[in-house]
Amino acid sequence: MVLYNFKKITVVPSGKDFVDIILSRTQRQTPTVVHKGYAINRIRQFYMRKVKYTQSNFHEKISTILEDFPRLDDIHPFYGELLNHLYDKDHYKLALGQLNTARNLIEKISKDYVRLLKYGDSLYRCKQLKKAALGRMCTVMKRVSPSLAYLEQVRQHMSRLPSIDPNTRTILICGYPNVGKSSFINKITRADVDVQPYAFTTKSLFVGHTDYKYLRWQVIDTPGILDHPLEECNTIEMLSITALAYLRAAVLFVVDLSGSCGYSLAQQASLFHSIRPLFANKPLIIACNKTDLQPIETLPESDALLLQEMKREAAKAGAGLVDGAPPDEEGCLLTMSTMTEEGVIAVKNAACEKLLQQRVEVKMKSKKINDCLNRIHVAVPRQRDQKERPPCIPQAVLDAKVAEAKVLEKRKLEKDLENENGGAGVYSANLHKHYLLLDPDWKEDIMPEIMDGHNIADFIDADILQRLDELEREEEEAAATAQAADEDEDMSDQELTAEETEALLAIRRKKKQILEEHRLKKSTADNKPVMPRKHDHNRQFNTGRMGQHLSSLGLDPGAAVERIRSKSRLGRKRERSAGGGDDYAMDIDQQPTKKMRARSRSLSRPHTEALPGEGYKDSAQKMKAMKIAKKAVKQRNKDARKGEADRVHYNLKPKHLFSGKRGTGKTDRR
Amino acid sequence: MPQGDHIDLARKRHGYRPDYFERKRKKDAREVHKRAAFAQKALGIKGKMFAKKRYAEKAIMKKTLAMHSERTNRHKADDQVQEGAVPSYLLDREQTARAKVLSNTIKQKRKEKAGKWEVPLPKVRPIAEDEMFRVLRTGKRKTKQWKRLVTKVTFVGPGFTRKPPKYERFIRPMGLRFTKAHVTHPELKCTFNLEIIGVKKNPNGPMYTSMGVITKGTVIEVNVSELGLVTPAGKVVWGKYAQVTNNPENDGCINGVLLV
Repeated sequence: MVLYNFKKITVVPSGKDFVDIILSRTQRQTPTVVHKGYAINRIRQFYMRKVKYTQSNFHEKISTILEDFPRLDDIHPFYGELLNHLYDKDHYKLALGQLNTARNLIEKISKDYVRLLKYGDSLYRCKQLKKAALGRMCTVMKRVSPSLAYLEQVRQHMSRLPSIDPNTRTILICGYPNVGKSSFINKITRADVDVQPYAFTTKSLFVGHTDYKYLRWQVIDTPGILDHPLEECNTIEMLSITALAYLRAAVLFVVDLSGSCGYSLAQQASLFHSIRPLFANKPLIIACNKTDLQPIETLPESDALLLQEMKREAAKAGAGLVDGAPPDEEGCLLTMSTMTEEGVIAVKNAACEKLLQQRVEVKMKSKKINDCLNRIHVAVPRQRDQKERPPCIPQAVLDAKVAEAKVLEKRKLEKDLENENGGAGVYSANLHKHYLLLDPDWKEDIMPEIMDGHNIADFIDADILQRLDELEREEEEAAATAQAADEDEDMSDQELTAEETEALLAIRRKKKQILEEHRLKKSTADNKPVMPRKHDHNRQFNTGRMGQHLSSLGLDPGAAVERIRSKSRLGRKRERSAGGGDDYAMDIDQQPTKKMRARSRSLSRPHTEALPGEGYKDSAQKMKAMKIAKKAVKQRNKDARKGEADRVHYNLKPKHLFSGKRGTGKTDRR
Repeated sequence: MPQGDHIDLARKRHGYRPDYFERKRKKDAREVHKRAAFAQKALGIKGKMFAKKRYAEKAIMKKTLAMHSERTNRHKADDQVQEGAVPSYLLDREQTARAKVLSNTIKQKRKEKAGKWEVPLPKVRPIAEDEMFRVLRTGKRKTKQWKRLVTKVTFVGPGFTRKPPKYERFIRPMGLRFTKAHVTHPELKCTFNLEIIGVKKNPNGPMYTSMGVITKGTVIEVNVSELGLVTPAGKVVWGKYAQVTNNPENDGCINGVLLV
């Protein structure tokens, strides 16, 4: 079963947008760089690719559009006619045809220009040809832009059409404008159709769904039809006539007895007779609405006659539907009032029943049913004697059922109470009635909720008194153990001797002292600068003091003092001794702090003095020479260039790359 | 209202959101800034396209503004000069009038005799032979170079048959043969797609004319029977000359102007 849903049609872009999309896609998805110096074949390929790519994109997009739009001849004739009335079949077909032609034209253009590109002998010529090709394709699309705009409008409207299934069980409601069709459908389904006092409120078909005998039924509300010939009907009326003509549904012709719709019963009757041919082969029910304003019993004679006539016609039509059944007059005419809701359900059930019977009839007559019938078999046990065997229900169950019924009758439900006292919004149930409390008088008491800023509920506990007792007991126990612990402490004190107590006190004092000093140091660390040792003129920090401090702590100062002394001795000449050498070698952080000056000038001589053997006449010459040397080097140094001293010897043939039996071309790992 | 128009139905029943108009106004106000940010940030082809569109918009805006302010603009009030008005010092002269109006055909005949035609493109760029022809190497060892391939658009008549391939010196490829031209009528200002009858004259030389090569400036003869032109004598004109105004090998089509 195809579900008619036109929401999946692709968006149709306008002419300009279409061109923009395709051209930008070409610009992004094809290579963009080509130079004059490339081989001519490569240039040609580059441009041919662009032309072909553009054409294929156009082809793709247009094809999707053409496929998504439904073909009016291929869909159900109901939808075909509906779309024809809404959008004009000719215009629709023409628009799609134009799009198809555009697609073919673009293909032809692409072919022609690709053929021409084969003869392009320069980049300029190929580029011009590609420009011409793309330009022509875009012009074709621009010419088609009115059709595209129309198709976009059609698509937007089509996607909002209600999805009517033409093959399922349907009830069609028709009649004059303002008779109460939309109110009826509002009552039996969940469709929220606008109901207004003016005529032609409903301007299109509305669909609602309802249930009957566990099946889903479609209910279609149509715009009102006026009684004039087919040629004079406008688009809205044509919608309802199309629905009547093409849908196999039960027709519910609604008649307004009171005439409050603005049309008399005579007019409605004449409409009925003029569209009677449309009711052929459809179960028909005439529903008389607005009986609260004009009950059928008090109808004037002429109107009653008209109704009788309509009933007869309906019955005659209905006779042909189900074979063998006599024309049923009473089943055709029903009364209802959508305002007071009496008779609405009856009308719906009658319509559904009639249609169901007809559909079942048709199905039984068709050939396909035989497959099903062959498989269905209801097995009934064969009667072997005439004894009657009714179903057996124990007496206790029957009694219980009766008793239950009585109890249900006697008990007053909360709902009944609510209804008595004003209904849902007015009456609020008394929930305190069913509380289970120690004293039933407490039921209506008001419970405080907040006290002193605290939630009372937080403090309520069922066994709170029990907990209080436990807590008190624990406290007593804790107090007892604390006392015992104190006594234990005194006992341990007596075990210390006098010396030990003295030592303990001394330790504590020392600890306190160190802590205070440390704290002081920390607080003044960043505020007070520390005297560096080179300004320590009084020689407060010396080895002796360190040794004293260490001994006061109880450590042996010998090793530390030796080490310091040995470090300060490094400047002097080292003594050659076998053992001494090892000592120095073992010392890890021994670094010469002073450079050894072998064969260099002593510090006492100035550097401008011309020594014999250097080749200078006198010191002035030497100074001048030095100056010239410095000046020559200055610019090179400023430019950070390599000098004579910055010589590098490259290793152009490292042995590990050139040794071995591998030849020049065999491997690429050197 | 159709069943599917949910938005409109909701609006009809419940009205707009309380802040709907406020939000709409603010959103529209923000659009201006978003647009400016895009214009400043967009690079490359996107930026160029946007700039072009925006320029066109601004031009139109400026024009409308200028139009609206026309009311307050002041123009110089100049006295209109009537047709045929003559300054005062020429008032007493006699004007001569031509006795005979020359007809179009006589003018054409005169021009033909003179051999000079008035064409829209009097001068064209000369095309060298190596631009027109491409050398084709043939032979078993590809050493023979006497064949030439025409690289420009050509026209060959309907009864054209090639010379035997072994002997043809100038090859006119089928892909570059055109039969139709887009010819514009200079007075009617509309373009027709007309069939070419023949090539009358190629300004680059008589050899090209005989070969049927069509380049810019070539005069071709086109079939104008669909225009329905009639001579004063009553005969139907079915062939007229047109001059080619584009480079057909670059554009893939022959565009021309009718010579009237």
